[in-house]
Amino acid sequence: MGTPVVLSSAPAMGPLFAKAALTARGRGGALPDTHLARVAVAVDPARVADYAEVCRFRFGDTLPPTFPHVLTFPLQVALMADRSFPLALPGLVHVRNRVDVVRPVGVSEKLDLEVWASDLRPHRSGATVDLVASVRSRGDEVWRGRSTYLARGASAPEGEPTDLDVTIGDVAQAAVWRVPDDAGRRYAKVSGDVNPIHLSGLTAKAFGFERAIAHGMWVKARALAALSGRLPSSFSVDVAFKKPLFLPSTATLSTAARDGGWDLAVRNQKSGQDHVLGRIRPL
Amino acid sequence: MTRKAAIVGGNRIPFARSNKKYARASNQDMLTATIDGLVARYGLAGEQLGEVVAGAVLKHARDFNLTRESVLGSQLSPSTPAYDVQQACGTGLEAAVLVANKIALGQIESGIAGGTDTTSDAPLAVNDDLRHVLIALNNAKTLPDRLKLLGKIRPGQLVPDQPRNVEPRTGLSMGEHAAQTAKVWEVSRESQDELAVASHHNLAAAYDRGFFDDLVTPFLGLTRDDNLRPDSTVEKLATLKPVFGEGEGATMTAANSTPLTDGASAVLLASDEWAAEHQLPVLAHLVDAQTAAVDYVHGGEGLLMAPAYAMPVMLARNGLTLQDFDLYEIHEAFASTVLSTMKAWEDPAFCKEKLGLDAPLGSIDRSKLNVNGSSLAAGHPFAATGGRIVASLAKALHELGPGKRGLISICAAGGQGVVAILES
Repeated sequence: MGTPVVLSSAPAMGPLFAKAALTARGRGGALPDTHLARVAVAVDPARVADYAEVCRFRFGDTLPPTFPHVLTFPLQVALMADRSFPLALPGLVHVRNRVDVVRPVGVSEKLDLEVWASDLRPHRSGATVDLVASVRSRGDEVWRGRSTYLARGASAPEGEPTDLDVTIGDVAQAAVWRVPDDAGRRYAKVSGDVNPIHLSGLTAKAFGFERAIAHGMWVKARALAALSGRLPSSFSVDVAFKKPLFLPSTATLSTAARDGGWDLAVRNQKSGQDHVLGRIRPL
Repeated sequence: MTRKAAIVGGNRIPFARSNKKYARASNQDMLTATIDGLVARYGLAGEQLGEVVAGAVLKHARDFNLTRESVLGSQLSPSTPAYDVQQACGTGLEAAVLVANKIALGQIESGIAGGTDTTSDAPLAVNDDLRHVLIALNNAKTLPDRLKLLGKIRPGQLVPDQPRNVEPRTGLSMGEHAAQTAKVWEVSRESQDELAVASHHNLAAAYDRGFFDDLVTPFLGLTRDDNLRPDSTVEKLATLKPVFGEGEGATMTAANSTPLTDGASAVLLASDEWAAEHQLPVLAHLVDAQTAAVDYVHGGEGLLMAPAYAMPVMLARNGLTLQDFDLYEIHEAFASTVLSTMKAWEDPAFCKEKLGLDAPLGSIDRSKLNVNGSSLAAGHPFAATGGRIVASLAKALHELGPGKRGLISICAAGGQGVVAILES
């Protein structure tokens, strides 16, 4: 790996998505070994409060377990928008996400962020790639994230395909969520993920979806928020994003305590289709 | 079966002035954080307690089950029952009395009493006129009916009703009521400022000697109450203009009145057996408590004078005099309230005519009053004040050694008051 490129501020996401769309054609080749980093990032408590409200976490001294993802996400996008990245960002589908909360992270901690790409692998309908994020506080890693994206129609070097499934045991329904049609816009505001497929029916149609779809990371965050107070202090939460959650819709959260953690499923209330399947385990 | 409930310890977050550090924290955020702080301090993760009782004075409609929701979001066992209580500024102490009484009766072995309030994240209600239209709209069956109702909405109705610190029956703020009482009892400006300065100095000294190390958990960047002014002086306070009362006789300023504050507190109570089984200390016992209410609307008594009436009842029941205590905690809603109450207890006419006593209750040794600071310095998030006082007094009595007595007096909106006795 090369020396990390340190950015002095979070890159603006709107222009990155535009750049990625304009430079989508003609991509290919190997993954760049670029690492993008930011150092001593201070978290704005007001932003945490906004995020907590949208995802239904309590706002307090500890960051919601999924919050570091929104800190590292702009670096991911910057990496993927760059011409050196072999896959076109528009059309990339977030199919799996694993977060490791090594320990609870305080709101007032200064965080060092580092993001890179790894594991460009073949898939039966294209290629997958992992965007890896590491968050450190005073030198110690406190949080890790691994987002797996699928690029349909893309190609990757020969190799073992990445496992995109998360298997869970029996779960029982714990809650019904009425997800309003502005859920995507609300999460976009607090996360900075302004991917048009989440914002409105019209912008989603332009990218081939019949309606706007909820952010997978919002669904994941909301499921974790429902387990607040019932989580180990150090844990991994690994989820597979299955069928998109179209907005608006009614979804169910089902859970079961298992192996010191939880299995969970978010499903469409009517059809029973899986939106998210996940496993939470102590680290 | 009756036994005395033990006070094991307490926890609170630092109190923050309105719309500052806790501007974005809700009552549920603060109460959950405070309970979790207590859980961490006493190793209660996963523990099923007998009951959690808490409340908030300013409460959103969605927080109808505030305490239970906070328990569900906390590290306590989800099978811990909970309920809300509201007695204005008496909420926190009343919650402690309720938990202690169930412990005394043997109905529960352990419990948490608490309170939280935010004036930053305060509920705004829909204007009553608009609410009536909206309810009718919801019940309307046909489109023309609905359109007709929608046509009734006027721009003025879109202005929400702000919660105000005003007595509904008198239209006067609590400060204005207190100013009336201060005038009746001829409480001087100087004596009020002196009490305020003592509160700041005592609270600062208590922080400095580490008294609050096991009573307060930092929250959202605050490690101390941000209303605290350790360098407060009578000279500085004398320069402030009165904010309550009118004309020459006005004595109450922003410094000798409590500011609007955000915060939460919680106290762990238990039977002695439960505390021993869990290898937890007993700081003090809650011996007795009494409430009283006065007719401040038509009866000519001051809004915040009810504790003056509750006190002799409780003292008589316990065979004690006002002087039989090692420490006193009189909640400083306003400096003038503390001073008016003490003057009333010293006044032969008041004690005879209003309290029906042969002799006045007498005076309090001021060196034993609010020794670790009180609401003028710490701030006063209404429902959180009782828990702050109970935990601090229990610890202070414990420091003095066994058999020491402490007295608590808290005034509340609506002309009510709660008093209690703790003993180490």
